[in-house]
Amino acid sequence: MERPIAAPRATPIRLRGLVSSRVVNTIVLVLVAVVGVLVIARIWHRGPGYFAQILVYGVANGSIYALIAIGYTMVYGIIELINFAHGDVFTLGGFVALALLPMFGVKEGQPTSAVILPLLITLVVSMLFCGGVNVLIERIAYRPLRHAPRLAPLITAVGMSFTLEGIMFLWRGPFFLHFPDLLPRARIVLGPDTTIGAKELTVIGVAVVLTIVLSLFVERSKLGKAMRATAQDRDAAQLMGIDINTTIALTFFIGAALAGAGGVVFGLYFNSLSFDLGFSAGLFAFTAAVLGGIGNIYGAAIGGLLIGMVQSFSDGYFDSTWTQVVIFAVLILVLVFRPTGILGMRVPEK
Amino acid sequence: MQRRWLLTVLAAGSVVAAACSTGGTGGGAPSASGSGGTSKGEIIIASDLPVSGADASDGIPTQNGVQFAIESTGSIKGFKLTWKGFDDTVNGAHDPQKGAQNVQQMLSDPKILGMVGPFNSNVAAAEIPVGNKGSLAMVSPSNTNNCLTQDTFGGKPCTDPNPKNIRPSGVNNYFRIAAPDSFQGPAMADYAYDTLKLTKVAVWSDNEIFGKGVADTFQAEFIKKGGQVVVRQDFDTKVTNDWKPFLTDAKSKGAQGVYAGATSGTKACIPNAQMAGIISGSYMTPDGGVNSQCIKDSGSNSADLYGTVAGANAELNPDAKATIDAFKAKFTKKDDIGSYTFMAYDCAKILIDAIGRAIDANGGNMPSRQQVVAALAKTSNLKLTTGTYTFDKNGDPTTPTMSIYHVQGTDWAFIKQFGVGGS
Repeated sequence: MERPIAAPRATPIRLRGLVSSRVVNTIVLVLVAVVGVLVIARIWHRGPGYFAQILVYGVANGSIYALIAIGYTMVYGIIELINFAHGDVFTLGGFVALALLPMFGVKEGQPTSAVILPLLITLVVSMLFCGGVNVLIERIAYRPLRHAPRLAPLITAVGMSFTLEGIMFLWRGPFFLHFPDLLPRARIVLGPDTTIGAKELTVIGVAVVLTIVLSLFVERSKLGKAMRATAQDRDAAQLMGIDINTTIALTFFIGAALAGAGGVVFGLYFNSLSFDLGFSAGLFAFTAAVLGGIGNIYGAAIGGLLIGMVQSFSDGYFDSTWTQVVIFAVLILVLVFRPTGILGMRVPEK
Repeated sequence: MQRRWLLTVLAAGSVVAAACSTGGTGGGAPSASGSGGTSKGEIIIASDLPVSGADASDGIPTQNGVQFAIESTGSIKGFKLTWKGFDDTVNGAHDPQKGAQNVQQMLSDPKILGMVGPFNSNVAAAEIPVGNKGSLAMVSPSNTNNCLTQDTFGGKPCTDPNPKNIRPSGVNNYFRIAAPDSFQGPAMADYAYDTLKLTKVAVWSDNEIFGKGVADTFQAEFIKKGGQVVVRQDFDTKVTNDWKPFLTDAKSKGAQGVYAGATSGTKACIPNAQMAGIISGSYMTPDGGVNSQCIKDSGSNSADLYGTVAGANAELNPDAKATIDAFKAKFTKKDDIGSYTFMAYDCAKILIDAIGRAIDANGGNMPSRQQVVAALAKTSNLKLTTGTYTFDKNGDPTTPTMSIYHVQGTDWAFIKQFGVGGS
């Protein structure tokens, strides 16, 4: 009975193998080309000024995703764990800032000179706080399970995500929270129909500075070297005298500090927060990390920027109902042709 | 030792998470003893509203109206009358499935003869079929989507929902007193074109039953008037934070104002704060945005904010003054009273009236749910705080009212109201 069923099955599989690579790739390429032509026609029609304006918003939006994505990618790079709580640590950064700002007597409508110092302090405190919380999460929920089956820490990560959301829910309630609009509204004219505001500059500036500092740290400092060594081969690194626990905790700390900074600039830029913000923002940031090549810091930054820009262009030129479809279509396309992401994965060796 | 510490932390965490994921239903409140005896037993009127979520700024003031109406009545023809509040919020937002579960729970309590609510049209679409199978009388103060009661909306046949499909028993059990969206969207469109003198607007919606419907009718009327809708977008507001590309698109096409087909729970007024520096113009929302949350979300950009409410302002009715004063004596905070508080009060009164007639029809005994529904359908010329109510065959009010509000300082201020005729 089994043979006649098995035999005809074998042929289509082989046939599919022969056909797939060429035909499917051609079809995909033709589709991409058609969509590409339509996109270019649409962009051409609206002129360069509008294009540049949407680009500015896309880069600002993407900078925030990049800040979150870097933390995902660092943690995945070092212990191959998707830290689901990361998106909520990002939200926590915004919540901490929202609580700190009134303590400095900061209100909407004050001159920038009066606001800048409290804002900087708030940014630093939020980053440190989020870093501390993430280290605590690692200590409680991930370290005891480091040698457990892979699914166990994944589930505790989901649990930690709900726990953080729950704490923020109890703290500030389910409402959308208005984040004070503190940055100056002045806009610099870049060209016809194109301006960049102090808000966009702040978001992009914070993201660029933090990414550069982080990459210098990872590539030049001794601790950075330890991180890279741990990411490559944990056991060998330990044999070389590297304190694995401290190194992993440091990775969690830095990743969360960047997410915390992301939360603060998110609040300053979009002027609104809610306790469950981390779910969707975290999902897109994780997508960005995969898109750029998981484990790769530059990849996460580029992936974040790309997703932010795709979102803005989809909203600005096409139908926003399709925005999520477009984002994930781009993800699928990139992964079909480059399964390791744009810049390639960097994950522990087996 | 280490493991025990870990377990404690995890257990605490899961308790917190569990506390947040269950919306929690409000318990019944003890009733004030009214006139007449309460020896025959107890009748409960339930309410189902979003009282803990992001919509709580609408839900709680609305629930207050129901609670006040029932507790100040106290008893009805020998029966003790009590209120039981349900919450249809899950994870901070109104949830159709949760609403349907609540109605199922109401059906299991034979003392519950009717409910006031729900607040949101998509919740109603999920609740009506459940309530209909159990013949539970439902009266909503604020549902406005046409397709809940009517076969067509904006000239198109209703498919999702369709009134026949969500009434499996074939007998209507659902009534409302708010003006349907076929009036709400156009009311703001007329005001925008005639009074605000806007000729080009951008329109967005949250892509929900209510938000998209009201945005569509606004758009149709605004174009009919001779205006232009320069951009129209529907967003998934659960994942959208950035409205700047949409607003930039609108500005580049000359938009003088923005209409948001959404509620405060779906970020109705958050784009208004982001509009600063991009478009300086009017921002308009339907009734789901006429609340304190919307003003908070608008930040310092709330000056040019307009909204519609699909009912009348009880404060304009001199006969309602005593009721309003009594309410304010009991509910003293500013946020206790909202644009649908007295609409909800009237819904409860309509149910009480119907239950009273059903008791009479049943010879003074506890009426069946079918009898309450039959009495409710015959509601006629009932004079209440927000108007005089008669239901048509669909369960809609025969003479609904629309009102227009705008923000002055830090509060919504009434501008005008007008009857919008039969549906």
